[in-house]
Amino acid sequence: MSGRPGFRERLLQRPGLRLTLAVAWLLALLALGWIASARLEFSGDLRRFLPDARTPEQRLLMEELGDGPGSRLLMLAISGETPDALADRSRALHDALAGDPRFTLVTNGGEAGLDAFPQDLLPYRYLLTSSFDAAPLDADTLREALDARLQDLGSPAAGLVEPLIPSDPTLEVLALAEAWQPAGAPQRLHDVWFDKAGTQALLLVETRAAGFDPTGQLDAVGTIRDTFATQAAGSTATLDVVGPGAFSVDIGGRTQAEAQRIGMVDTIGLILLLLVAYRSWKMPLLGVLPLASAGIAGLTAVALLFPGGVHGITIAFGFTLIGVVQDYPIHFFSHQRAGLSPWRNVRGLWPALSTGVVATCIAYATFLFSGVDGLRQLAVFTIFALGIAALTTRYLLPGLVDPSPPDLADSPRLQRLWHRIEALPRPKWSLAVLALAAVAAIAWSPGAFWQNDLSKLTPVDPASMQRDTELRAELGAPDVRYVLVAQAKGSDAVLDATAALRPALDALVAGGHLDGYDMAARYLPAADVQRARQAVLPDTATLRTMLAAALAGSDFNEDAFEPFIEDVARAKTAAPLTRADLEGSPLATAVSGLLLEHDDRSTALVSLSGLDDPSDVESLAAQARTAAVDVRLLDMKAASESLVVEYRGRVLAAMAVALVLLVATVWIALRSPRRVWRVLLPTLLTLLVIVAVLRLAGVELTLFHLVALILAAGLGLDYALFFEHAGDDRADQIRTLHAILVCSLMTLLVFSLLALSSIPVLRAIGSTVALGVLCNFVLSLLVARQRAAIDAARAEPLP
Amino acid sequence: MLAAPAWSATQSADGAQRASQSRDRVPAPAAVAPRSVDADWILQRLTQHGATATPFVELRVSSMLKRPLVLSGEYRRPDAGTLVREVRAPYAETTTIRGSEATIARAGRAARTFSLARVPELAALQGSFGALLAGDRKALETVYALEADGVPADWTLTLTPRDARVAGRVTAIVLRGRDAELRCIETRPKQGDAQPTLLGSAATAAAAVDSLEAAQRLCHDVPR
Repeated sequence: MSGRPGFRERLLQRPGLRLTLAVAWLLALLALGWIASARLEFSGDLRRFLPDARTPEQRLLMEELGDGPGSRLLMLAISGETPDALADRSRALHDALAGDPRFTLVTNGGEAGLDAFPQDLLPYRYLLTSSFDAAPLDADTLREALDARLQDLGSPAAGLVEPLIPSDPTLEVLALAEAWQPAGAPQRLHDVWFDKAGTQALLLVETRAAGFDPTGQLDAVGTIRDTFATQAAGSTATLDVVGPGAFSVDIGGRTQAEAQRIGMVDTIGLILLLLVAYRSWKMPLLGVLPLASAGIAGLTAVALLFPGGVHGITIAFGFTLIGVVQDYPIHFFSHQRAGLSPWRNVRGLWPALSTGVVATCIAYATFLFSGVDGLRQLAVFTIFALGIAALTTRYLLPGLVDPSPPDLADSPRLQRLWHRIEALPRPKWSLAVLALAAVAAIAWSPGAFWQNDLSKLTPVDPASMQRDTELRAELGAPDVRYVLVAQAKGSDAVLDATAALRPALDALVAGGHLDGYDMAARYLPAADVQRARQAVLPDTATLRTMLAAALAGSDFNEDAFEPFIEDVARAKTAAPLTRADLEGSPLATAVSGLLLEHDDRSTALVSLSGLDDPSDVESLAAQARTAAVDVRLLDMKAASESLVVEYRGRVLAAMAVALVLLVATVWIALRSPRRVWRVLLPTLLTLLVIVAVLRLAGVELTLFHLVALILAAGLGLDYALFFEHAGDDRADQIRTLHAILVCSLMTLLVFSLLALSSIPVLRAIGSTVALGVLCNFVLSLLVARQRAAIDAARAEPLP
Repeated sequence: MLAAPAWSATQSADGAQRASQSRDRVPAPAAVAPRSVDADWILQRLTQHGATATPFVELRVSSMLKRPLVLSGEYRRPDAGTLVREVRAPYAETTTIRGSEATIARAGRAARTFSLARVPELAALQGSFGALLAGDRKALETVYALEADGVPADWTLTLTPRDARVAGRVTAIVLRGRDAELRCIETRPKQGDAQPTLLGSAATAAAAVDSLEAAQRLCHDVPR
């Protein structure tokens, strides 16, 4: 610190050098920030922010589904042109998206898989089709098929089917393509899906990215919108994209836009506030340096310690929490005056500042043991950020400030304000009443205490929700909430188990209780089913006899169907088709979402659409459950809410430990029960008051409120520490008052703007912190200062 | 029947001559040959005097079949927007083309509906029939390039699809007729033989036709 007094002296005498260094520091931070944002691996996977799964439902949700098949579906509607033009648009969009690896399924109801059916799998059609399950292939069936094919040849569209007929007289390829159409598919006009009114062309797209992955969803939805915008440029056609992914993208975009707007207003407000408070244009520049350094340090630490990627929420929460470091330079600036070396000044403030930082850091350290990756990242981020902000304020900032600004304690206006505050009555017992009232309000307010449904914080606007409901019904798209799940050791067991559910599910569909369902067994029958079909296929000699009988008297050549005989012979001896054989075919994508295979177990999903009563399927699942195959109806909403509850439990436990550690740290630093009491009372009381006010306002608390409470507590602790630290000296008290006024006005400005936001998650954070700032400021002012200072101030005459 | 080849040959030569005349825009000598026709003349005749129902005979050839498949039945136009192709022999099948969709109904089976976009052959059929029977040259010209040729007693109207998707399957549709009677529609696929549809008196004459050549002859030759 005193190693290079020469340099310090030089800095004190040369304002130009100070400014140059400050600008250089800012530029270095900008460069580092730019590098960090380019290099940082951002992970949007919400699962990293949730605790480990405990129940089977949670495990399914977290490890297997990534939100379930329904939530990876996007529903597209094109409208605004004539139906045939819309059909062309639908085809163009389909063709453009179909080859994109970001999508596992793109379908518009157009020609179903006929060209896409892989050539080497063609003979397998006789193992996949259920056409001959009820009655095996015989001469009569063949004869009938041949008659129909003759008519096909006589139709003007003969060219379409003629190439298929020699190897496939019963047109099983077409039968399979039709069977593989999504269940409950909408009507087809001009060969593509349309809604019932015939005014919107419909497409169904399944993203590869999980519903949990906002980045992947953003990419997918962006690709769709951009492709359509290019294709439909200059036309009247419009595209609607709905579905969970599109919603999360929309709400993410809206939140970001609003946060940016608020951030802009905040920045202007902060700069104006600093200009007014210090009458120096350098202060906004110098004031931002510790905060910016803190952000970069936090990001770097997280990036180094968590190579798996920094979670987006870590960044968002983290920057909210380190807002407190903006206060550090303010305290320093407010105390700087002529005749006081900046280094001396900062050394004087250091006990209060360091106590606040250490106490808060220790509190955040409890998150390191929460067992949740996202919370650990948050802890690392804030601890490093706070530490760096304190150290830069302590060791770098003194070299850059103007050493002799006017002493704020001399300001008549501040002095008048000071005296007016002194004249206020000191609360004593009224605080106890306030605390009791707050506890009573918390305990007896009506309404639920917690909000477990996190989606309530990022609500979809009613119009989009309506659109989602409409299109989901039109397309027969699967439910986002419920999915039927079968788990067992091998794929055959789960395929059999789900296939066995089909009669019961069909009955539900027939009864109108269910619109439709989809399962892997629809595309890939279990091996024993395939073997059974193989067994009843005629051998070559039998087939020849059969065919000869069918061909008797027909117009077809005797040898026209040799390829058919070959295909049946191949199907008769082929090894049953497995998942691996499908690789690279369009069927693979259909199956991949519905059959999840691991070394030790397989999971088959049955997606349900238009389910009226979950208990219908629940009882089905209960009946189908055996020792070997676990079949259950998964309520993804309930599973994710139970995860939120668990998560919150861990946060609350960490917060409780943090509170104890915080008290201990303050106790060790201040070493006097009276002082500890004065410092902690405003903070603890404020926490009670915030929760009470929120409860009285009917707000159900969420994780975001908890994080905001932590920030509010940190701010309150700092205010109290500084007021307490100012001691008996009147001038110092006035300077501290100025500093805390500026700090709390800044924080109040930022968070009350957030509190006015239309987005509930921003509102939750904003209102909680704004309330906390107000309450902390008032209580710290009235409680934290030393008694003697107050008495001395009262004895003085008014200036 | 024996004389047919010779007769056919003269007719073909005659046709080629007429075609070259038309291309060179040499006016036909009024006294010797009738005046040449244009698309408007043909369309007008067909609309005003053409029948709303006409028998047809079609021949289908396939390597899978022992002998050509001879279909007979009736084309009908119950209203301006609809074309019905009813096959009566050797089996019963009704194809209804309305708007941009076709429905095929077969005895004992549920009707199937599909888009014409998927079957350009059907679209070509409807386009030619529809516009012909409505006489709307403008509508026809948006879909096809028209080329009229011949004389009132023996004319051809060649429709070349403008849409690339249709053109990928069908190179041209050639209509042949005499005065107000459309005698034959020849759809020329991109691959394979032209499949003629004989209509009206040509269809009646074709009752016993048994080869593609014979049908094409009937399509090309106008009895005098």
